[in-house]
Amino acid sequence: MTTDNVKRERAQRPAGRGIRQSMSGLHIWAGLLMGWILYAMFLTGTVSYFKDELSQWMRPELAHQAELPDPALVAQRVADELGAIAPGSPQWSMRLPDGRTNSVYAFWRMAPGEAGAAPGRRAFGEAAFDPTTGGKVTARETLGGDFFYRFHFQFHYMPVLWGRWIAGAAAMFMLVAIVSGVITHKKIFIDFFTFRGGKGQRSWLDAHNALSVFGLPFHAMITYTGLVTLMALYMPWGERTAITTPAERQQLTAELNAFIQPGKPGGQTAPLASVADMVRQAQERWGQDAVGRVTATNSGDSTARVAVARGEAGRVSMSPQYMLFDGPTGRLLETREGVGAAAETRGVLYALHLGRFGDTVTRWLYFLVSLMGTAMVGTGLVMWTVKRRQKLSDPERPHIGFRIVERLNIASIAGLSVAMTAFLWGNRLLPAGMADRGAWEIHLFFAVWALTLAHAVLRPARTAWIEQLWAAAALLALLPVLNAVTTDRPLWHSVAEADWVFAGMDLMCLSLAALHAVLALRTARHRPKPRAVPAKARGGVIGGALEEGRS
Amino acid sequence: MHLLSFALCLAAFAALALATERQQHDLFGRPLPQAATHLLRIAGTGVMLLVLGVLLDWQGWGLGLVMFSGHTSLAAGVVFCAAIGLASARRRGKPAAISPASRRV
Repeated sequence: MTTDNVKRERAQRPAGRGIRQSMSGLHIWAGLLMGWILYAMFLTGTVSYFKDELSQWMRPELAHQAELPDPALVAQRVADELGAIAPGSPQWSMRLPDGRTNSVYAFWRMAPGEAGAAPGRRAFGEAAFDPTTGGKVTARETLGGDFFYRFHFQFHYMPVLWGRWIAGAAAMFMLVAIVSGVITHKKIFIDFFTFRGGKGQRSWLDAHNALSVFGLPFHAMITYTGLVTLMALYMPWGERTAITTPAERQQLTAELNAFIQPGKPGGQTAPLASVADMVRQAQERWGQDAVGRVTATNSGDSTARVAVARGEAGRVSMSPQYMLFDGPTGRLLETREGVGAAAETRGVLYALHLGRFGDTVTRWLYFLVSLMGTAMVGTGLVMWTVKRRQKLSDPERPHIGFRIVERLNIASIAGLSVAMTAFLWGNRLLPAGMADRGAWEIHLFFAVWALTLAHAVLRPARTAWIEQLWAAAALLALLPVLNAVTTDRPLWHSVAEADWVFAGMDLMCLSLAALHAVLALRTARHRPKPRAVPAKARGGVIGGALEEGRS
Repeated sequence: MHLLSFALCLAAFAALALATERQQHDLFGRPLPQAATHLLRIAGTGVMLLVLGVLLDWQGWGLGLVMFSGHTSLAAGVVFCAAIGLASARRRGKPAAISPASRRV
């Protein structure tokens, strides 16, 4: 076939969809179908970068930690306490306090036969401990910021695996949306700074593009690494083929984390040697504040082992680094500081997602760019309705698909802000001694969220947006007031004490309240453009004046 | 060091913004000469590479690259919002345009 023939054939071919067009369609579908779930994942993920601070705020009974307590002493105290409350536990693990946490979170495996541990199934106990006394914290029962964190990748009210599968599916759709979005964005460099205001759909598109492109490295990274963190669930076949014996499984686990696994207990009791000394040895090796976690197996038995693991700050990898000690004697058995190349790759990707390595500025950068990503999803969802509203044959009676998207948008975006703030209100208002208090804070979150959906369906759409945005603004603005009234840590006190966790929380609430108020005002002020008048009716001063009405 | 890096990123993106035709129209009412646009692009890119170098030297490859990504994303957003603010302030300052349709016949 000659070049001329090819060219002629191409010219004669009916104008079809180019790759940009098809990618645009793919982008819209992928974004829309999972948009509401992705928005929730993005927003809860964003706030999770400050989940430790949020947890502190949600346990106001725990005093502000002005100085970091000696990690070695803390480890000893909590180890003693765990020995008392969970004797015979095959494995316990504690996370030492750092600059962002003022309690020690620990979990332990129930001894076989213990209440709640069904035969064959592993049951865990968990609690937060006071670093100064070693005892369980005497603060209100709450999941703290960990609720948003866990919701982010496994939601709630469903088996954990289902939640993670849904999150994974949403993330895969997100990846498709990112790649198709980049392909379809025609003038990604020329239009880098473009914003055309007051132009309806075009303005929404410019905003969506800006939010997406500026944060593109982050959005692509966070989506891909999110999938990597649960890759063993989504693509298990390699592991299933390669790892067939328990010994191989132990080797694999050692490459992934510092949770050393217990062997068979020897049966002879032997008290644990000084955990404080073990931690001090680790501090000598890695730094004063560099110890993150202490795990023990078969504590109190002659076969006990203790692993002191390095903290996550300052290195972009979650691959385990730990010093392994013999439990009864305290002798250093092994120092593990390297893993294989594949495991290290996974460690780096996992670390990038969690962002725990960063200093305060880096954490704030993560938070702000993640917020941009949340807005990216939100603007995309809203843009869908803005674009199609113009094309409705009868704007008073849109088709069912449009109505569903419109109402879900309101509840998933504005409604989520209301629900998340209601969760914090619940933390301050629910009685301290209430049974299952932590669970009821969560029930409140979902109840309010469901109410916002009902509100979104029952009210006219535009009114629902405005009312929910104002509700969020009000709840956020009044949260510092509620805090001042229900605790002894009001804003002025926190600032005076340089308690930046509480002060920061109050100030953040006020800033977010202002943001929601601005959104509510702009929505209220927005007057939809008059629909284009057909050509024969236009003309003369009146028709022309309609065009001038735009500022 | 973070503050310095962020400030330099702001300057770099401001230069790159000024090098785009649309922003030049919005801010100056006319496109700048080609040479100025080239210079702005080179300067903007150069400063950004400088920031990368500073961060890599300060924190190493892992942390440095992540911090660079964060600073650039945020700085781009800030410059973007500033450009919107400047453009709308400029529009408000101008007297309302007289259009043919509203002129008395």
